[in-house]
Amino acid sequence: MELAAMVGMPGEALRVPRAQWRQSLAEAVGAAFAYHYERNAFYRAQCDSVSPADIADYADLHKIPLLPVGMFKQAGAHVLLTAGLADIETEIRSTGTGGVPSVARRDALTTTRASVGIFGGYRDLFGISKGAGMFLCPSTAEVPEMGMVKVFNLLTAMLDDHRYLVHNYSFDPEQALAYLRGWEGRMTRHIIGPPFIIARFMRFLELESVPLTLDPESMIIMLGGWKQYTGRSISREEFNDKAQRLLGIDTTRIRDMYGMIESNMLAIECEHQRKHVPPWCFVSIRDVTDPAVELAPGQTGGIAILDALNTAYPGFLMSDDIGEIDESDCPCGRTGQTVRFRRRRQGAELGCCAVSIEKYLDSNEVVAECELVDVAGRR
Amino acid sequence: MPRFSECVIDHFTNPRNCGRVPDPDVAAFVGNPVCGDQILLTARVGDDTVGEIAFEAFGCSAALAVASILTERLTGMPIPDVAVIDQTLVAGWSGGLAPDQRHVAVLGADVAHRLAENYRGGVLDDAPVSAG
Repeated sequence: MELAAMVGMPGEALRVPRAQWRQSLAEAVGAAFAYHYERNAFYRAQCDSVSPADIADYADLHKIPLLPVGMFKQAGAHVLLTAGLADIETEIRSTGTGGVPSVARRDALTTTRASVGIFGGYRDLFGISKGAGMFLCPSTAEVPEMGMVKVFNLLTAMLDDHRYLVHNYSFDPEQALAYLRGWEGRMTRHIIGPPFIIARFMRFLELESVPLTLDPESMIIMLGGWKQYTGRSISREEFNDKAQRLLGIDTTRIRDMYGMIESNMLAIECEHQRKHVPPWCFVSIRDVTDPAVELAPGQTGGIAILDALNTAYPGFLMSDDIGEIDESDCPCGRTGQTVRFRRRRQGAELGCCAVSIEKYLDSNEVVAECELVDVAGRR
Repeated sequence: MPRFSECVIDHFTNPRNCGRVPDPDVAAFVGNPVCGDQILLTARVGDDTVGEIAFEAFGCSAALAVASILTERLTGMPIPDVAVIDQTLVAGWSGGLAPDQRHVAVLGADVAHRLAENYRGGVLDDAPVSAG
């Protein structure tokens, strides 16, 4: 299968026989490696003894040299680019707890491919084409370069109505509830956002004893990770239980996603809660003490992503994330890989768009509380 | 209009005066806490005039380019002139900025003002600039 076909119809590409998937993936990733090797002097210098001639099939993919994802935070990030700055169309960023942004620059071709591919992934995994979306995150107008919001925003094209409910880094659950009530009986209601804000909304419903049952086809769609900036984790099991109890949403319709702004890999959960790696990406698990060593499926290690879409820079990245892959066939009928994120690598900053939003959301609440105390004190 | 001016492309691709000046007379740091763009300027000052100057910057391409442009423009500039640099001037120096890049002109003007203020106050910002 050609790369263009994988990007245009990821649902079909995820259902081809495993041998065909491996061959198509190896051809696409191998061609991407050759593209950057030939055009990017900095990357070629990292390749030591590996050249495109060494990447013949699936078993060779692990030989492709990786760039540490932390390089996207470095001041000299221009050396990563295969495309010139004049060809760069979008700059997407993510800021973690350290405050220094990671910036991923995409040229027109990469932007087109990634947009079409993510859109196709949504169609295949969610099957949404109508309804109303309550987005518990800032709008793209407010934070136009934030990766997570950009990815969520593509969903709006599939919906009949939508609202963003985080404004100036504050969130009002009463307003969110009012929108859900307003759509009731007219449209299927979906909730989209990072897990911690959805968890806040559910906590509000629970504390206020608000009866609310969404619709039979309602979905919860999430991205942004389960660890809060404080270091505390949200339990997926507890989250699912609450969503079923407080919103009436079946577990099979609660879907998390995993990705990072530096890559065009957005792994989306199917109804069996397995995150499917898109057909244009290969996830390779590496020994945390020696990233050159690839671990077998099922073993836990550093997550490396090899992305065939990117023409702006070599999309062969060693992330700061720890997890594992599963190459067994999924009961949903899709082949390929599924990925499971466990945690951040030891010593890596807690970094993603959701963490930044939560941090500012909390700081705003503290400011609001202080103002109330101050006013009360003056009386 | 192209997304990036020739000047921004040039300074992003070939940044000038990267790093920190050793034993600077002044250090000025300004960061945008939301988007994360950050510029640190360190400089030596003699006769109330900026001498050797260097930058560290993180963030979007325009921010990195503007930091580099500032070091060229500020070299040899009297501190009173640095204190009145405004965003229009910075945008002009950069050869024009697209609407979504204009916050960088504000950042550039802010860090120039801070440099002048810090010099007058004898302050060396302990910049939290770090890529982690």
